[in-house]
Amino acid sequence: MKAVAYSGGIALTAAGITLIYMATRTFNFAHASMVGWGFYVVFACYSIFGGTPYYYVPLAALFSGFLGILLYFGVNRWLLRAGASPITLMMSTLGVDLVLLATINIFADYLTDVYKINARYFVLELKDLVLGSMDGLGVRAIPFVTVCVVVVLIVALHLFLKKTKFGIAVRATIENTQLATVLGINPEKVYIFSWFVGGALAGLGGGLLSLTMSGYPTVGMTIIVTMFAGSIVGGLSSIFGSLLGGFLVGLSEYIGITVLALSIGGWILAYRILIPLAALVTTLLIYPQGLAGIKLKKIIIKTPGTGGRVGSGGGG
Amino acid sequence: MEVVGEMVIEIHPLVLNILINFGIGLIITVSLNLEVGIAGISQFGRVLAVLVGALVAAAISGRLLAAIMGLPSGLEYADHMINFKIVDQINRTLATNVTLSIGILFLTLIIAALLGALIGYLCSYPALRLKEAYLGITLLAFGDALNTIAWNVEGLAGGTQGVNVPDVFRWIGVGPERYLGLVLIIIGFAMIVFLFAESLIRSPFGRALKAMRDSEVAAAIYGKDIVKLRAQALMIGGALAAIGGALWAFYTGSFKAVTYTRLTWTFWPWAYMMLGGVGNNLGMLVGVFVFSVIRTLIYAYKTELTTFIPINPAWFEYILVGLAIIILVLFRPQGLLPEKPALTLPKSKIEEIKQKVKTEKAG
Repeated sequence: MKAVAYSGGIALTAAGITLIYMATRTFNFAHASMVGWGFYVVFACYSIFGGTPYYYVPLAALFSGFLGILLYFGVNRWLLRAGASPITLMMSTLGVDLVLLATINIFADYLTDVYKINARYFVLELKDLVLGSMDGLGVRAIPFVTVCVVVVLIVALHLFLKKTKFGIAVRATIENTQLATVLGINPEKVYIFSWFVGGALAGLGGGLLSLTMSGYPTVGMTIIVTMFAGSIVGGLSSIFGSLLGGFLVGLSEYIGITVLALSIGGWILAYRILIPLAALVTTLLIYPQGLAGIKLKKIIIKTPGTGGRVGSGGGG
Repeated sequence: MEVVGEMVIEIHPLVLNILINFGIGLIITVSLNLEVGIAGISQFGRVLAVLVGALVAAAISGRLLAAIMGLPSGLEYADHMINFKIVDQINRTLATNVTLSIGILFLTLIIAALLGALIGYLCSYPALRLKEAYLGITLLAFGDALNTIAWNVEGLAGGTQGVNVPDVFRWIGVGPERYLGLVLIIIGFAMIVFLFAESLIRSPFGRALKAMRDSEVAAAIYGKDIVKLRAQALMIGGALAAIGGALWAFYTGSFKAVTYTRLTWTFWPWAYMMLGGVGNNLGMLVGVFVFSVIRTLIYAYKTELTTFIPINPAWFEYILVGLAIIILVLFRPQGLLPEKPALTLPKSKIEEIKQKVKTEKAG
């Protein structure tokens, strides 16, 4: 069950990375700190205002989405205009990540000083709602909530990208920015949108992950490799692909290490991070398009009639 | 001896600290610049080769000495309950045996360089297939993987407990004398590495690398073997970074895998390089110097700083490096010293030729 919750959270963050990459060709390193802020928004609000952590997950999403917009207007926008190379784009987000990491740390210090709570390391797992019990063990709500969120997100994104004008404009910009601009689509709006949604997905993923794993300021730095692995296994060309990729990587990390620990011995647990690393490297070296990406892309993006609708979307 | 003693007192330890950070930083950054700035390979896994070098110093040099002296040198060497006793005994021998100390220092650096080159060669496999960001992420993954292994395999270098590294500088003396000697040795190595890289960049090999960076197709058309060039650049870069890592481990006197993070040994050298000017070797001197001074000062005046700013100076350091990267990327992507065409002949000689041509034309 924990594996499902963990994988769901990773899937959401991986989708965020992919969305930003698709729209702006930027590998967003700052995703690490955006996820970290997701953890901390939920933790801080819960510690201060009480209730259940779930109340604050949307807030975490909004906050990280806001960070995404800030990053876009502060840095990314100018670099995109200047036509910077992918490496420069990546480096700039790394700089932002360091600053954000520092702000998380400062915030954690602040929480510790002012509210006298240990904000350097926290476990919210036990604060989760208990739905019932099975074999004497409490069944937590988080796996169900995460799965629901992922499913709702898939449906909502699908409807948005297929049925609304702006969704079609987003797809058009991703496929061919110049052509979309010629047809009257403002790519700026699409960039802002993808940074906001990408950031929000990071915050959402972080907020939900805070209920399955312990939180600390550098938590984003630790799991960013898994997030990148998820989005690369997904192919970096489809949000749905990366949701699946993130889910698969998360599951294989969680279940794979449990199986190995049972068969070889507990010492293998420390090498858990090697599973997503291996998934990442093998995908890139053997099949860089990503297994899930190519299949889903065919179904979702290259459906017949796309061109016509892009035209009408742009004209309207 | 007394003159030396007085001189030692005059040099503030802070200056020595800056010089050490500068020396090690320069070695790593020069190696990074060779791969990124000159050869155009997006090396986001610098920590990999650095860690290999440090591992050699931690796991091999101590074992060699232990084997020579008949002490346990197998897996039990890395056990933290035994290790400090063994290293203590080794250090007492090294304090009197100058030849052995220097010999071990050089042997370690050579092994580190060889293994670093091997790592570079292995990295050339993905480097040929992937481009830019994808390659960066892959190399980053390699670095993280080795870090996890070094952190968890106890028999290698103590795992989570770490090991002590033999003190090959003890023969110089104790206290400030040793420190000064160590600084001079590290700065010496840094200068050698710097000059080596400088001459390499100006050589036909360096120009071929630059050609490859600017246009792979064009370089291939003119008969340059891209596969070989990339592998060579990665091998040299890896060897240099491993030397830096080994020296750092010797300097700190202990090894713990957890301190070799991608943040400290990949991202910070990137920031140094970007400040100095990507592709300009001379810029590395400037970039590394500025950052080492600032970082060392922040470290040294931690307590004083907290009275002015209400935040922990460690985070202040992050903000500083992060902001430096952002500002550089936005406003001065070429760095403080932009890359200039490298002169292969000394300037005086070029002038001479110019004059000659002029007179010939006139005549």
